[in-house]
Amino acid sequence: MGNYVEFKNISKAFADGLALDNVSFRADGGEVCALLGENGAGKSTLLKILSGAHRASSGEYSINGEKVVFGSPNEAIRYGISVIYQERQLVGDLTVTENVFMEDLYRNKLGVVDFKKSHGEMKELIDLFRMPFSPQDKVNTLSVAHQQMVEIMKAYRRNSTVIAFDEPTAALSDPEIDVLFSLIEKFKQEGKVILYVSHRMNEIFRITDKIIILKDGCFVDEVRTADAVEDELVLKMVGRSIGDVFSTLSRNDEYGEVVLEAKCLQNQYVKDVSFTLRKGEVLSFAGLVGAGRSETVRAIFGADRLDAGEILIDGKIKRIKNPRSAICAGIGLCPEDRKEQGLVLERSIGENLTIPILRDLAQLGVIRRRSERRLVNQAVGRQRIKTNSVDKVVMELSGGNQQKVILGRWLLANLKVLILDEPTKGIDVGTKAEIYQMICDLAKMGLGVIFISSELPEVVNVSDRVIVMREGRISGELKREELSEERILRLAMRER
Amino acid sequence: MANSERASIGADAGLIKRLLRSNETMILLVLLMLIAFFTVMNKAYLSYFNMTNILLAASTIGLLAIGETYLIIAGHIDLASASVAALFGTLVAILINAGVPWPIAALAVVLASASVGLINGCLVNVFGLQPFIATLAVSSVCSGLAFIICKGKSVPVNEEMFIKFGTMRIASIPFPAILLIVFFLIFGFILSRTVFGRSVYMVGGNPTAARLAGINPKRISTILYINSAMIAAFAGVLMTAKMHSGQPGGGTGAEFDAITAAILGGVAFSGGKGNLGGCFIGLLIMQCFNNGLSVINVSAFWQIVAKGLILIVALILDFFRKKRHAI
Repeated sequence: MGNYVEFKNISKAFADGLALDNVSFRADGGEVCALLGENGAGKSTLLKILSGAHRASSGEYSINGEKVVFGSPNEAIRYGISVIYQERQLVGDLTVTENVFMEDLYRNKLGVVDFKKSHGEMKELIDLFRMPFSPQDKVNTLSVAHQQMVEIMKAYRRNSTVIAFDEPTAALSDPEIDVLFSLIEKFKQEGKVILYVSHRMNEIFRITDKIIILKDGCFVDEVRTADAVEDELVLKMVGRSIGDVFSTLSRNDEYGEVVLEAKCLQNQYVKDVSFTLRKGEVLSFAGLVGAGRSETVRAIFGADRLDAGEILIDGKIKRIKNPRSAICAGIGLCPEDRKEQGLVLERSIGENLTIPILRDLAQLGVIRRRSERRLVNQAVGRQRIKTNSVDKVVMELSGGNQQKVILGRWLLANLKVLILDEPTKGIDVGTKAEIYQMICDLAKMGLGVIFISSELPEVVNVSDRVIVMREGRISGELKREELSEERILRLAMRER
Repeated sequence: MANSERASIGADAGLIKRLLRSNETMILLVLLMLIAFFTVMNKAYLSYFNMTNILLAASTIGLLAIGETYLIIAGHIDLASASVAALFGTLVAILINAGVPWPIAALAVVLASASVGLINGCLVNVFGLQPFIATLAVSSVCSGLAFIICKGKSVPVNEEMFIKFGTMRIASIPFPAILLIVFFLIFGFILSRTVFGRSVYMVGGNPTAARLAGINPKRISTILYINSAMIAAFAGVLMTAKMHSGQPGGGTGAEFDAITAAILGGVAFSGGKGNLGGCFIGLLIMQCFNNGLSVINVSAFWQIVAKGLILIVALILDFFRKKRHAI
């Protein structure tokens, strides 16, 4: 008797490395099992394998002793596995009932949907969840929190034996969290297997029975929640050896006056964000995914609208309404996703390098090709971009060289502030080291650098100061000498 | 590693293969083969007179193709261009008949047509409509208006100087053909050598990246819709002068011919690629083919079928170009 899920030697390889490396553990029914780890530790990948969205590269998993392989998420759902992701998978224009019932709405003899019966059952479900909306409401008229609850109702109605939650409380407020937890308690008593991913320590202590710690795709430890100590958990999550990469880094130690000042920035993603940046300083924004780091820099760069707040460059207020005006004010941004947001992949290296400065290279709108050529060749040499021609399309370069093109673009633009959003994502270790050194060199040249990374060792070893964000707000600030991964994580995860 | 391998393959490949790799060379070869074929079939084909006639016939579609090429490179499209040409071509005839001096009438309609481009730009950029749908709707509106303003009948024009504008020849080259070439040279220069032209490519290649590098994609595409409408109106004026009358139903389907010319010439529907030189060769392939079919006495109905087949071939070529790139 008793349900259980068992993972045996699960590995998952992606193009840019191993996301899971030989992970084995078992989760029993009637228990809530927490998955704990940093961003990129492999929790989401594990859930995706569980739900049939990904297939493991090697290893197997079994449910109640039966080995299973799913070709698609639908097969997994039919087998009784529900995974509730952070991103909601609802159809906004359909009603709550239609979303929860999906293909098994009640039908009458003629095959026509019996909405009365379906809505009736939905109403009972809503009452059970103590939610204020009605079965006929369209999902896109509900708040984000209520949408999240609809998603959970979907899983509840399927009566799955395995239910996994991926940060379910990220969008919920306290009363809703209470409802969710009482439901989880109910699932537990029914003997279901529950996997629970969260960054919020107090939740993990409140509802889970055991904790699986993952780090860099590897299984680290399994502890009973009752025996766990928060500080030890955090240490296990981050405790990794830092290579020699950082010891050879030549850093900048002299800061100039304040070059950028942000006052009370506010929009739909960030709340009341204020900070200053000095010349020659590398300032990091740390925090979990979705904490508002990228959103803050996008607002500064004019990529997202600001509802309130001021941005000062060299002490003067600048009205930044779009990226163009940000560039004119001396701010550059290397965006998070270099292929989607940074580069025009099908155009040449040269063309990609000179976009922001093209106007300065032109006379009466006509590009002076010889000066463009000269600048482009200089930039390719200085950035050590490996290519045989500056006319090569950017698509054919490796990830690291592509990132160097974007960096090179901004070095040509005579900036005061450069923002780097996850510049080392998906890049090999060698190029990473080059990019760290470039960041420090930029600081030595007197630029203010804002650096965002989800890899804490980078943040700790490259930054002069770290601002930690949580839920769209600044939750703390650490100076170079105070920096440690544990301190950053604690600030990033501490409860309200 | 993979790159160096590919480079060495490129170096080893023969001359023909390398020539084939360049899109312009390939379609230029197609054009020459077409001309050779029809000349063998009928010697009169290659005559100076016939060749200049091909250019004359290409002038309306060619002008529309300039606007389309810019838009397609930027990742947009304008299905209203032929209707705009018909509407403003008819309007200019009405204005001239009402006693407005012809240069002023011509200038006025070209300027007025900017409003249609602005509407297209707004529908796409402000209301977020798909370019295809938005311009299709605007096309229907313009086409209907063209018939309404002339009560469904064509409008004959007798103003001699105006007609001359469409029919005179310089060194026995029709004036509209000269205008066509001048337009291609000017717009080709703007596209390949100016900051604006470069921005068009960047917006078409990746609008998000272009915006984050300081280009305003909405501004660029709105300008291009206005540009397309104004060129189309100018083509309409030229058409009226050429045909001695404003034809409300004239040029039906010409926007598709213009798009075909662009695609044949290597302008990619996915945006960010192509140039006006290629478009010009594509235009000539289409016109040489149409004219050739007439010269060897293929019926007009079969010519319509042939036009469809050319478009299919053009799209398949586009597919292979993309595939070659993806490998």
